[in-house]
Amino acid sequence: MLVKRLTLRDFRNYESAELTLGEGLTLLHGPNGAGKTNLLEALYFGATGRSCRTSNEREMLRFGAAAARSVIEVEGEDGAHRIEVGFEPGEPKLMKIDGARVERLSGATARPLVSVFLPDRLELVKGPPGSRRAHLDQFVAALRPARAENRTEYGRALAQRNALLARVRAGRSGPSALDAWDHELARLGIVLMEDRTHSVELLTPPFGRLAAELGLPGEATLTYRPRSKAADAAGLESELHEARESDLQRGFSGHGPHRDELVLAHEGRPLRAYGSQGQQRLALLALLFAERDVLLAERGRAPLMLLDDVVSELDAARRERLVELIQSEGQAVITTTDAEAIPGVEDAVTAAVTAGEVRQELAPA
Amino acid sequence: MFAPPVNRLITELARLPGIGQRTAQRLAFHILRLPPEEALPLAEAIKEVKETVRQCEVCFNLAVEPTCRVCQDERRDAALICVVEEPSDIIPIERTNEFSGRYHVLGGALSPIDGVDPEDLHIEELAKRVEAGGITEVVVATNATTTGEATALYIADLMRERAPDTEVTRLASGLPVGADLEYADEITLGKALSGRRRL
Ligand SMILES: [Zn+2]
Repeated sequence: MLVKRLTLRDFRNYESAELTLGEGLTLLHGPNGAGKTNLLEALYFGATGRSCRTSNEREMLRFGAAAARSVIEVEGEDGAHRIEVGFEPGEPKLMKIDGARVERLSGATARPLVSVFLPDRLELVKGPPGSRRAHLDQFVAALRPARAENRTEYGRALAQRNALLARVRAGRSGPSALDAWDHELARLGIVLMEDRTHSVELLTPPFGRLAAELGLPGEATLTYRPRSKAADAAGLESELHEARESDLQRGFSGHGPHRDELVLAHEGRPLRAYGSQGQQRLALLALLFAERDVLLAERGRAPLMLLDDVVSELDAARRERLVELIQSEGQAVITTTDAEAIPGVEDAVTAAVTAGEVRQELAPA
Repeated sequence: MFAPPVNRLITELARLPGIGQRTAQRLAFHILRLPPEEALPLAEAIKEVKETVRQCEVCFNLAVEPTCRVCQDERRDAALICVVEEPSDIIPIERTNEFSGRYHVLGGALSPIDGVDPEDLHIEELAKRVEAGGITEVVVATNATTTGEATALYIADLMRERAPDTEVTRLASGLPVGADLEYADEITLGKALSGRRRL
């Protein structure tokens, strides 16, 4: 699938703008504060219906405007599609595929996969385990779309078990239904653990290789640490059973795959605690490219890579390797203040970004 | 904004599931435009249904007499009980023509989030019905959702305890995951009924 064009209106500092993407690398260059990252965010917003930078969606709205809108046009195996996402404060988000309104974009086959690197957003590496679990589960959903429902169902069963624990603790319910919820949680939880294990097994080799290539010499590893030692649903169920007393005291479930950890480590030390900012960035970049490799190998689909200010971390040799990786397969959009710093720029589609304006000189197609 | 009776009609209509304020207004004005002989049958139908329809004393299906038509039908296998969440779940099962037993309507599914405990459903009545004897199999046809699955497991555990000789089965998968029974098509439901598995 190719993302051909982005059109936006009243988005951040843009009143209206248009960006045509290349089939390989697209380069956005311009001074700091011109709005390069905003274009990446608009691409992400158009492809997912969410922001990759903020949970306060009002920030995406141009000052004084009523509604922000991002439209991406894609070319898939089944033809062209147009995905439109609009945000208006106080209104349900407007999402349309080919003009027809949809409830959500996740699961829609017309939607491109996207992967985003923001150098100032390193929560994934250095934040609490929850962000890594959520990221891993998103990867599972991209790798095996049919399994995405299982993660949702697990979340529902967990919320139900927690509600029951709290009710029993408060004396408002009897404990008789807890066995049923343990069983249900275990049935869904073991599948979630299997999916995560499978994904991390696929990601580990390319992660180590790419981390070394991009500038983390020595051994970089990716390890899935499930809290449960269970090999099957019955095993997980009996663990939940054992945890019940303490769960009842707390009023929520303290055991299960919602407490798992994904450890990114370098030379045996977790990058979360011991990595420098630069190492954490490189590890994140290696993880995103490892995911791209696995998605290409397993599904024949590479995500659109949105890479903000990625080259400032890398020396000349590694910049070259990065551009090679990008140009080998799939699409990427890179922002930079210095277009000259990108090797192979002459093969890329470029756009000059200045204060809310995008200027592109495109060769006739 | 309108005369009080009109406002009251709009308010009542807007309380129906799936009807927003705007639709309620449209319906209210439609009803206002109708001649009395076309509008009043709706009011009478609502009145009649509330005055005459009640729950079957045996299975909690809808009934106009103390027991429902299924429970009254002597040709139906009294040794086989199909457990569903709502009376509306019976319709698609009946349409498959695969099921010749009787029903038991729970009146919902376990959902601690919504404060629905086993005591809020007709589960104890089911246990008593089975304990009374003559039941060889209980088919649990609760929805294939998390709440439906947990309810099925709860019933299976309870049956093992209270009526160990009765077999408890679950509709075979074939129902789309997360789907409500009401929307399942007849072919998948028929297959699910014929290939039910032990719980
Ligand atoms: Zn009945």
